[in-house]
Amino acid sequence: MSERRGAVPALSDPVLDRLRGALAAPELPERYVLGQPLGRGGMATVWRAHDLLLDREVAFKVLDLPEGEDDLAERLLREARVLAQLEHPGIVPVHDVGTLSAGRVFYAMKLVQGRRLDDVVRDGASLPERLRLFLRACEPVAFAHARGVLHRDLKPENVMTGPFGEVLVLDWGLAKKLDDREPAKAVCGSGTDITGHTGHEMRLGTPAYMPPEQREAGIVDERSDVYALGGVLHYLLHGAAPGECSVHLAKPVARRLASIVNRARALKPEARYATVSALAADVERFLAGSPVLAHPESLAERGLRLLSRHKVVVVLLLVYVLVRLALLLIAGR
Amino acid sequence: MTRNHRAPFPFTRLSLLEAVRQPELGEAAFATLVEAYWGPVYSYLRLRWRVTPEETEDLVQSFFARVLEKRVFAAYNPEKARFRTFLRLCLDRFVINERTAAMRHKRRGALSAEPQGQSHEVEDSALEPDPEECFHREWLRALFAEAIERLQALCVEEPRRVRFKLFERYDLLSGESVNRLSYADLAAEFGLPVTQVTNHLAWARRELRRLVLEVLRERTVSEREFRDEARRALGMDLP
Amino acid sequence: MTKMLLGTILGGVLGILDGLSAIVSAPETVPQIIGIVIGSTIKGLIAGVLIGYFARRVNSLPLGIVLGLAVGFVLALLVCLMQRFGGEHVYWWQVMLPGSLVGLIVGYATQRYGLISHGRQKGL
Repeated sequence: MSERRGAVPALSDPVLDRLRGALAAPELPERYVLGQPLGRGGMATVWRAHDLLLDREVAFKVLDLPEGEDDLAERLLREARVLAQLEHPGIVPVHDVGTLSAGRVFYAMKLVQGRRLDDVVRDGASLPERLRLFLRACEPVAFAHARGVLHRDLKPENVMTGPFGEVLVLDWGLAKKLDDREPAKAVCGSGTDITGHTGHEMRLGTPAYMPPEQREAGIVDERSDVYALGGVLHYLLHGAAPGECSVHLAKPVARRLASIVNRARALKPEARYATVSALAADVERFLAGSPVLAHPESLAERGLRLLSRHKVVVVLLLVYVLVRLALLLIAGR
Repeated sequence: MTRNHRAPFPFTRLSLLEAVRQPELGEAAFATLVEAYWGPVYSYLRLRWRVTPEETEDLVQSFFARVLEKRVFAAYNPEKARFRTFLRLCLDRFVINERTAAMRHKRRGALSAEPQGQSHEVEDSALEPDPEECFHREWLRALFAEAIERLQALCVEEPRRVRFKLFERYDLLSGESVNRLSYADLAAEFGLPVTQVTNHLAWARRELRRLVLEVLRERTVSEREFRDEARRALGMDLP
Repeated sequence: MTKMLLGTILGGVLGILDGLSAIVSAPETVPQIIGIVIGSTIKGLIAGVLIGYFARRVNSLPLGIVLGLAVGFVLALLVCLMQRFGGEHVYWWQVMLPGSLVGLIVGYATQRYGLISHGRQKGL
């Protein structure tokens, strides 16, 4: 119910909701046909759209509100610039950037269709498969580090796997240049407000995956992303973020793998892997059945590992020895 | 106090709530605030407290009079809650106190302690289970109504007049209809090309968006509140 | 290490062990132990070369195992037949069973480990 004001008709609930929906939708350039919203973050919404000129599906990340005095527009543009400069199969390419007629800043990018890493775990992927996906996710991050860019919001929800096994790291909205040595401002990541102060200073990142130095707004570097990737690895192994109750997955976690996670997530940066590549290399060693740097093996552990790695041959040789012994016993009678 | 239907808001950068606290701006700002929240308060009393239409007007007036008298808005702390939540809680407390006083003086009226389920014009389907949601809904309705009025005021002369007519016809009047008009229908009705209808409607929606944000900025007290309310008002919480 | 070299070495080593085990399983053959060991080693080497060559050509664990078993079995059978036609006592079980097992082990190992050739990745 509402009051009638002047000649304007009363706004019923359906009309009100439709108006709100119409105002939420961005007015895209003529060559694009707007589709459904794909995801909503703290400051922007990602929309699906069809490019009539190139006859392909694209994604538009559009600020919810028009450019104002705050720095959200600049942040979105910076995100677009970062993505545009990082040309890697594991990083979404940017097609276009600009401001819509309503003053809303946007950038257009490749539409990524697939499953997020958390969905992959829920669907029951095997451990080797999960670890291989993790290794693939490390590649674009290592590439970005080599180009002087930190991600700062790595988590399972920001890693997508495509239908052909491709892995993409998404949401570079909090990316930072390595040579920018100012203390990390704490800001919102992907719609997860930790605390809000003014429009210029909010907290950064996702708490469960955020290293201490980022939480305390200290200096961040590649090892901060290593910490976050350690959290992602933890999620892949336990089915839950660090600090949450873990979902029971098929087998208990191998000690060497747990050591890798612990080293990546060491509280002090100097105790972690120095680079993402070093972390990935240790996970590769684990997959190959080789000793890992994070876990100094005792002699017994080494022996067990070798036995486990070559168990079939060991069993065959044992069978051979047993057969020989059996024949000896028979001959002895 | 009486309701001022068209109190102009002279403030640009200053929010209503900040202006209310300033001696030279207080009265005008308060009148504008009342204008902004009269509708939501009225509707909330009808929907949530099942007040009869006759007594709702009196109750709304009494509420705002009490707010002015006790300088209730001075106690508002933006860090703790949104302003409309604060206002709703004040309203709930006011109604409870009024009913308690009425019972204490053994006065029977339409203000009963429990919802009686009496038949009013209120449609049961319009009832919100959540009081906060109910108040927010009415607040949104008032916000959009104000923005649409401002849009209408902008479109007094051609060519904007036809733009508003198109918008009214398409988005306001036929919005609920199962067989909604198409752009081609509108074009035929107004004797315009379809592309022009599309452009006019796009203009009207763009302006409405701008005006909704303009009204919202007047009715919020902090940047954060403005952004939160803006995202909700503009449908960012819709599925 | 290439698959052929792996097969040859493994076959040879297991052949030596096979031959030496005769000291305990058939003590009456001790005077001929050197000949037994040499013969067993040659059998192991031949088996290793054949199986290793197969592994180099065919990348299939099941087939490698089956071929290894078959080669080991056939070579062991030949040894037994030689013993029989030579008028010697034939140690059927003591020769056939371990011989087949050696072939199986070499078949598995050459499929699972070793390089196809220098610079190329292993088959599995």
